[in-house]
Amino acid sequence: MELGEKAFIHSIAGNEKLMKRLMALGCIEGTEVCLKNCAPFGDPLIINLRGCDFCIRKKDAKNISIKDTQEE
Amino acid sequence: MKTAALIGNPNVGKTSLFNILTGSNQYVGNWSGVTVEKKEGFLDSKLKIVDLPGIYAMDTFSSEEMVAKEFLVNEEADFIINIVDASNLERNLYLTTQLKEFSIPIVLVLNMIDVAESKGIEINYELLSEKLGVTVVPISASKSKGIEKLKVLLIGGNFLSVSSDNDFQFHSEKDAYEFISKLLSICINKEYSNKKTSTELIDIFVLNKFLAYPLFFLMLFLIFKFTFSWVGQPLAAYLSYLINNELVPLLSNLLGNSSPWFSSLILHGIVGGVGSVIVFLPVILSLFLGISFLEDSGYMARAAFIMDKAMRKMGLSGKAFIPIIVGFGCSVPAIMSARTLESEKDRKLTALLVPLMSCNARLPVYALFASAFFPGHETTVVFSLYLLGILLAFSLGILFKNTIFKKDEEPFIIELPEYKAPEIKNLLTHTWDKGKGFLKKAGTMIFSVSVVIWLLSNFNLSGMTDINSSILASIGRFVSPIFIPLGFSNWQNSVSLITGLMAKEVILGSMGVIYGGNLRVSLIGNFTQLSAYSFLVFVLLYTPCVSVIATMKKEFGTKMAAFSVFYQLSLAWVVSFIVYRVGTIFIK
Repeated sequence: MELGEKAFIHSIAGNEKLMKRLMALGCIEGTEVCLKNCAPFGDPLIINLRGCDFCIRKKDAKNISIKDTQEE
Repeated sequence: MKTAALIGNPNVGKTSLFNILTGSNQYVGNWSGVTVEKKEGFLDSKLKIVDLPGIYAMDTFSSEEMVAKEFLVNEEADFIINIVDASNLERNLYLTTQLKEFSIPIVLVLNMIDVAESKGIEINYELLSEKLGVTVVPISASKSKGIEKLKVLLIGGNFLSVSSDNDFQFHSEKDAYEFISKLLSICINKEYSNKKTSTELIDIFVLNKFLAYPLFFLMLFLIFKFTFSWVGQPLAAYLSYLINNELVPLLSNLLGNSSPWFSSLILHGIVGGVGSVIVFLPVILSLFLGISFLEDSGYMARAAFIMDKAMRKMGLSGKAFIPIIVGFGCSVPAIMSARTLESEKDRKLTALLVPLMSCNARLPVYALFASAFFPGHETTVVFSLYLLGILLAFSLGILFKNTIFKKDEEPFIIELPEYKAPEIKNLLTHTWDKGKGFLKKAGTMIFSVSVVIWLLSNFNLSGMTDINSSILASIGRFVSPIFIPLGFSNWQNSVSLITGLMAKEVILGSMGVIYGGNLRVSLIGNFTQLSAYSFLVFVLLYTPCVSVIATMKKEFGTKMAAFSVFYQLSLAWVVSFIVYRVGTIFIK
């Protein structure tokens, strides 16, 4: 994903703690997500979910797979 | 008496509301077993409010969530005050859907309605209340709107009870969010605007590739200056001046006719002990004023964001950078500020590493030894000690991360809240809480240890004596053999190190008394360059002062404090040993 790009969430992988945490924040299949910024050394990232900015490490963000369109 | 649980996401103004509702009528402590702050307060004599930690959900395993869940499961709450950010209902209501499962009446407080309005969000409160089966109260804590109405409602207990049919059982997060979306689509009228918010504008500068670090270090520098040179330290120095030059002469006049042991107990034992507690207070208060400012303004999350990569190497998250840096000034406020970190693991690891940062009190010891033994190379010697501390903190961070803290690796996800001007009242309340906690918990322990050390250094079994023949000197003689491999094994040094537990600068004072005469000259007769350096390394690393131990005990419990004492003693011994032995090889 490029900076400033928007996409929709396809699925979330990773360990249970991470998944639960992300899903509680509304990071769920079909949600629009935007990569807003990254730290000066490229990690961590800032993503926007449902109107809120979150800081997340690259290795955790890798577990969120995305797609271009929102399907029903 | 009824009990209400105050619960909500982080950054929704929960603490402000708590302060408004309970005023100064609160009690701060820790939840048992974890370092999560527990706050209780009273709205009136019939209603107790418990401030639960700020969380996003009930089931994602953090210690904050466990605490909140346990409290609600054990039915200690008669009703829940769920505070939500009206400008971001979608995510905030997720927690509400989970709270519904507990079948406890809920008062849903929509905070920041003014912000929501300015964002063009219109909310149909009646419909929301009906659909969720909760009482809805719109307020603005920062503008004090709707507060009186809320208070009346809470005291009167006039709100919707739990309906018997609980249809808030969602099978997955997805179901819950779908429900919320549907609900909000009928309850909310939102005008979308694409204009950049002020937060986004500020972030362009604050998180800019080139400006981020300079700005961050400028902030740190300002807080450091504020604490250690503009406000905190001068006040501390003034307080200790008052104690030493006003109170002590006054008391010694008053005590002129009493027996010497009594006046010594009062002057050196009690006043000395109390004094050493009180002088910390201005430093702690000013530091916390600065840190609360960063927290409340929303900058702290950004600082964590930009420092994360570096701090992760030692197994910590970005936020831990602040306590670590503060540790160079004084470990006591540094350990207390570890409380602001997200996870329990981070708090503990930070507290263990902070004392390795060489604090202000150690500097006089370095300065004297460096000028006596390494004339012309003072800066290099002192700098090498600071560097050694930092390097060891990094290595131990990695070691601890892979051993004792291995199990609880938590994902690092933090919200970057919108910037807002901090409220003075909140800043002050928060700051005072810290100071009060320190005085009460750590203060009593520092005080009692001071008196014990006074006893040991002024008495032996046959009565009062001077330090050279005191019980402390006997203890010094007893322990000094363990310093033989380190090159500084006479009892005078051991005694100085023991008294250094009071505060590290006391080491010099004790040496002055024990060796007598011009300390610089007498030291040269008792140390070689190498054993002097080995001694300095030991001073850098060995058990921090009693104030730090007391703070550690207050924040993390006896076990952690004991572990910290033990590991630092072993570390100091091992590193000094290596320095001395390796040095011996080269110098021969």
